[in-house]
Amino acid sequence: MARSSSTSHGETAVLGKGTHLRGRIAGDGDLRVEGTVSGDVALKGHLTVDDGAEITADVQARSVVVAGAVEGDISAVEAVAIRSGARVSGAIRGASISIEEGATVNGRIDADFELPPELGGKGGR
Amino acid sequence: MASTVISQGITIEGELTTEDDVVIEGTLRGKLVSKDTVKVETGAVVEADIAASSLSVGGQITGNVTATDRVDLMAGARLIGDVKAARLTIADGASFKGNVDMDV
Repeated sequence: MARSSSTSHGETAVLGKGTHLRGRIAGDGDLRVEGTVSGDVALKGHLTVDDGAEITADVQARSVVVAGAVEGDISAVEAVAIRSGARVSGAIRGASISIEEGATVNGRIDADFELPPELGGKGGR
Repeated sequence: MASTVISQGITIEGELTTEDDVVIEGTLRGKLVSKDTVKVETGAVVEADIAASSLSVGGQITGNVTATDRVDLMAGARLIGDVKAARLTIADGASFKGNVDMDV
């Protein structure tokens, strides 16, 4: 079928504030979640979980920024950034992982770098 | 810009419920309920029942659609399913197979 020549090609997909999804999302592009999702997310692009958003499922993307809540494992090819105020329960995996002060993280962190001492690496727990 | 956008290359399977308007350019399978406007753009593939306040279709829908206000099938639209809406327009070049219920 003919693809539309719409100017929005490559535009970020958005699940808005008042939106609830029960199900799966997959795709090539980027996604910003402002609402709630219960179901797996698998993207080739970038995922942003906004402040106020909630994802209850495992998440896979090229890179992930979390400012809201994620209950499930996060797996990224590139960077995972957990912003201040975010809540994450689950394993985090990525080429690089950053956690801002004020974020709540419960779970394993699996990064391809040495964790700095203040994050519990090298002689930490 | 619409508050919820399912852009090209994105596939959603499941039940999407929203207070806000939705634009679909990608693929949706399952069910969509919106209290606002839903736009199914050219190139979009929807295999879902849709309930919205108003619905405009340029893409392809397989499923029953219900709108409290109106349904507009634009040229190039393809709808297989029943329509329940107070007002319905079918543009020249749209294809449609199903029943219409305008008795609201």
